[in-house]
Amino acid sequence: MAAQEMETRAKQEVQHQDKSREQTRPGRYFLPEVDIFESEEGLRLWADMPGVDEKDVEVTLKNGMLTIEGVVSLDMYRNLFPVYTEYNVGNYYRQFVVNEDIDNARIGARIRNGVLEVSLPKAEAARPRRIEVKAG
Amino acid sequence: MALLRFDNFDPVSRLLTLQSELDRALRSPEFNLGLSGPGAYPPINIFESDDTLMLIAEAPGLELTDLKISSAGRTVTISSARRPLKIAGDTHGYHRRERAQGEFTRSMHLPEQFDLARAEAKYEKGMLIVCVPKREEAKPRQINVQSN
Repeated sequence: MAAQEMETRAKQEVQHQDKSREQTRPGRYFLPEVDIFESEEGLRLWADMPGVDEKDVEVTLKNGMLTIEGVVSLDMYRNLFPVYTEYNVGNYYRQFVVNEDIDNARIGARIRNGVLEVSLPKAEAARPRRIEVKAG
Repeated sequence: MALLRFDNFDPVSRLLTLQSELDRALRSPEFNLGLSGPGAYPPINIFESDDTLMLIAEAPGLELTDLKISSAGRTVTISSARRPLKIAGDTHGYHRRERAQGEFTRSMHLPEQFDLARAEAKYEKGMLIVCVPKREEAKPRQINVQSN
């Protein structure tokens, strides 16, 4: 069976109704699409951020709020003339409330082929333990 | 439409210039791709310089071994797949699953003056970039004025 042909979904812009929460950098920000997966060990997150270099991505977890931010590099556009466009280019920003108890010291992040991958290991105390049930 | 000179190295004005120029091109498409329009995956922006046409597609998370680009006459075809994550265990662990996955093929017709036989492509930071040089006769040149 042939896999389903993919379609492009328009990029979603970050909307701040609350003007007191604007970004410091001007210009449009886009919400990266994410996958989030939870296992016994922790949470893992993947975010599509095409155009972002390793040095231009920031991941922070503070007071239970996970923030991911990526700044796109624009060098490739120098001296070009746009003749046809289907998408706009901008930085990426998204926040999540993380309820799990995460071991901050062991958070890991890397970006490969425009996909940010973050691992958020659960703190030892938050990991599920199997409690033995005894008969009798 | 302005050339994206970026003479000003200030990254803030660079981004704002690029965003407004891309918007302008969105509103006035001067280019006819022939086979596929907006909505096809991956989304493509096309830029021109004096001697090259650049197709820039946003397609993060591809593996080079999966990526195929071919040309025939004036048509260039890109095909690849966004593979599902290899996560052990069942799928009950997903909190969110927004990232698109599946296979795709996209073809575009390019104007006559670009020479697909000499095209080059690279994949970096999740962006697929195809550079197609202009044919010699289509490049801008200075015409000498002679006096009698």
